[in-house]
Amino acid sequence: MTCERIEGLLSAFLEGELSQTDKAFVESHLAVCPDCTALLSVLSRTQKALAGLPELHLSPGLMARLASIPERKRKFSLTFDLVLKPALQPVFAAASIFLTLLSFYLFNPDRKNIDRAIDQKIHTGYSQVEKLYATAGSYTDRLGETADNVYVSVKNWKVFGGNDDEPNKL
Amino acid sequence: MLVNAYSKRVFNLAYQFAGSYQEAEDLTQDIFLKLYGALKKYDFEKNFTAWLLTLAKNHLIDTYRKTKWEKAHRDEFDEQFAAPGSAQGPESGLIQEADRKLVWEGLNRLAPETRIAVILRDIQDKNYEEVAEILDLPLGTVKSRINRGRLQLATILKDRKEDAHDL
Repeated sequence: MTCERIEGLLSAFLEGELSQTDKAFVESHLAVCPDCTALLSVLSRTQKALAGLPELHLSPGLMARLASIPERKRKFSLTFDLVLKPALQPVFAAASIFLTLLSFYLFNPDRKNIDRAIDQKIHTGYSQVEKLYATAGSYTDRLGETADNVYVSVKNWKVFGGNDDEPNKL
Repeated sequence: MLVNAYSKRVFNLAYQFAGSYQEAEDLTQDIFLKLYGALKKYDFEKNFTAWLLTLAKNHLIDTYRKTKWEKAHRDEFDEQFAAPGSAQGPESGLIQEADRKLVWEGLNRLAPETRIAVILRDIQDKNYEEVAEILDLPLGTVKSRINRGRLQLATILKDRKEDAHDL
């Protein structure tokens, strides 16, 4: 137990950071404990070895790469700013929705049924358009006939040299 | 210029932590990329060096956690001396060199948080208060962590020496 406690104090002992009481306690223990004395010696060597590890210089290649970072960062930032322009955001939103739907379609295991449903919808839509077109054609004909009748009636009015006395009577 | 002023310090921290010259180069580059991105967030009332080293420490530990299985080996100590621009330590002699070799290899046995604390205190020669600021930890925690790391390294040194005597 004492050795464990001493171990916790050895660094501070080496660095002269212990209070007088703790220092005396460590010294008295070291005087009777060869293991802790040996540990203190190795600890001191460890600290010296760590302090003696060499400091390396950077390679010129790394220095050049580090020096070019601000410029690269600035270019990247410009590109990124362009991408983040508010005006482009609806485009990106629309593209995202489109791509989501496309991926939903492309990767759906039930793709054949989707194809069939789309095909059906297109055919239904097409026939509805055809019907509308036909209805619009009949309305055009009827409108033409009505216009002709109105033209003939107006032409028959006395005012315009016709025989009809009653302009209100069409 | 930031690179001139701090690159050597950051590179050496990365090298001592990772143990590989190549990896230290990549880590230093990543740290400076992060630094330029984070400069806007720097609080001018804080110590810039401590702030930068905190950023570096966070990156080193994050990278270690993501790829720790690749960190089993450090560069050979002899290669380290042979690396371009290496500076001879203040002490010479075979015993000191053998000790340095052992603690260099032993650094890999320390947990990343302990390793970085020992590197900052004993290799980079920061005082305890500076280490506590960089690690953002209470002073007492830092002291006990450094002591624990040193004891682990000392035990490695002792065991290897005993093995050498036994042979």
